[in-house]
Amino acid sequence: MLGVIVVLCLVIPIVWPDSPDSLVAAPYQAPSLRHPFGTDSVGRDVFVRTFAGGRIDLIVAAVVVGASLAIGTLLGTLSGASRHRAVDTFLMRLVDAVIAFPFVILILVLVVLIGPDRKIGPMPAGLPATVIAFLLVGWAYYARLARAQTLALRQSDFVVAARILGYSQPRIIVRHLAPGVARVTAAYAVGDAILAVVVIASLAFLGAGVQPPTPEWGNIMYEGRAFIATAWWITVAPGVLLAVTGVALSLVADALLSGSRADP
Amino acid sequence: MTEDVVPIALDEPTAPARRGSSASRWGRRLASGLGQALVVSYVVVTVSYLMVRLVPGDPAQAVLGARATPQAVAALRHEMHIDRPLLAGYVDYLGGLLRGDLGDSIVQSDQTVSGIVDRTLPVTLELIFATMLLSVCVGVPLGLLLALKQGRAVDHAFRVALVVLLATPPFFLGLLLIVAFSLHWTLLPAGGWAGTWPANLRYLILPAVAMSAFLMPQIGRTVRQVAIDVSQQDFIEATMARGMSTRTVMVRHVMPNSLLPVITLLGLNMGALIAGAVVVEAVFGLPGIGSELVESVGQRDYPVIQGIAIVSALFVVFSNAAADALYTLADPRTRRS
Repeated sequence: MLGVIVVLCLVIPIVWPDSPDSLVAAPYQAPSLRHPFGTDSVGRDVFVRTFAGGRIDLIVAAVVVGASLAIGTLLGTLSGASRHRAVDTFLMRLVDAVIAFPFVILILVLVVLIGPDRKIGPMPAGLPATVIAFLLVGWAYYARLARAQTLALRQSDFVVAARILGYSQPRIIVRHLAPGVARVTAAYAVGDAILAVVVIASLAFLGAGVQPPTPEWGNIMYEGRAFIATAWWITVAPGVLLAVTGVALSLVADALLSGSRADP
Repeated sequence: MTEDVVPIALDEPTAPARRGSSASRWGRRLASGLGQALVVSYVVVTVSYLMVRLVPGDPAQAVLGARATPQAVAALRHEMHIDRPLLAGYVDYLGGLLRGDLGDSIVQSDQTVSGIVDRTLPVTLELIFATMLLSVCVGVPLGLLLALKQGRAVDHAFRVALVVLLATPPFFLGLLLIVAFSLHWTLLPAGGWAGTWPANLRYLILPAVAMSAFLMPQIGRTVRQVAIDVSQQDFIEATMARGMSTRTVMVRHVMPNSLLPVITLLGLNMGALIAGAVVVEAVFGLPGIGSELVESVGQRDYPVIQGIAIVSALFVVFSNAAADALYTLADPRTRRS
């Protein structure tokens, strides 16, 4: 299911005759064969915009979750394996504090501080600030999880054996602890991707996030909100796709979690 | 395990003899929880301060835009107290916070941030409370029902429905509810706020339903799981053997045990609830911290945004501590150990 959504988001903007940004028909046209999701307030095709928007949402979610996973797992494992109590305590109190902030609010603060209009390279306006904000916050959840897992693994026989064999601390962390920790955090990451997609889309409702005219699920829905009584399809199409993506991701996450539990 | 579980249902109302010692233990746990909450609060405040100073980019420049003159930027930097050395600014900032001073709004020039929070936070808390009430009132009975019908068609159908509900973002559900109940059937207002009780209730229903979409399924799933686990314990079998009806067993023995994780769940979800409330308020135009945030983001009024972030984080920290304390109070097992 997830694969289908990803493929559709990749393929449809390429093969569909309309471009996401061009005005192709009269505004507010109801869904038809030619325009399966209708047209929006200025006459753009909602079908191609929805899938082009999905590209941004999915790519950004994958990038920020992947990076948070890598950074958080590394820091958490180091913190758990560290012999310096001070390092561990400092890092974990920082994690507590970052997690205490409601996620969306913290992201929003950071986006505003960084400057939502700032452009970096080819990324559309609003995206760089969103990505940076996610990276500054997202690692904390993985760090806490990775630390707990490291503490659990540290006492296990194979790690003790490796220590007795005289392997160096870095070698034990990289070769012995990290793989076991990463398995747990990776399963969590898939579930976290749902949250990432929802938060990226929510930002449009809060006046931040990816700026129009670049299509993105959140801002398509936000633009459609004003006309929801007469042209419901503008908002409902990306919303349903977002919900379907969420269900698909949670199925994957459930499968991974039950898999990792059965396999010690 | 069995011996641990039996007394909960029977002992709890009639255990005055142990009160003294368990109450003092509870007090100690409460104190240590509170101490931890204070440490985290301190770090929260420090993080909020450092965030403004260390994040890439100049906040004053971000507020004024790229075309602002250097003089205007310097003036705003002074007004925002970010031209001070890092440490001196930090001491000032902490001192202000201890006096309840969160700074002044840049845009609404006659308003303090704490005044704005005072005005908007109650609306958000009312929304969160309504959501919790609704989610518990629907989620707990649903979870118990599904546990009773475990493995049957009803169970499977509702579990799929709960996953779908969980995956639907609250703001999208909110929009759908507006279309159905406000525009199509014109039963409830699409947004706004009366400002007085009980008139507010009409404005609170749809947002609370939208927010429950993510809380209620979690409660339902947890209660179902715990109820199934508890039903397999020996003491339940014993009560069944004594000839109690299924309903009595459910209400008297299974339900009290299933409620404990719900307390933890509510505490853990406080941050997510505030975050959800922020977005849902923006959709329904409720005058809470969410709408205030959106306005402040639009105007780059960063002291207000920062103030709301701090207040909501502190609120989360202390509700987690409160949930922990409540859990200890409600579950005799945690007191005895």
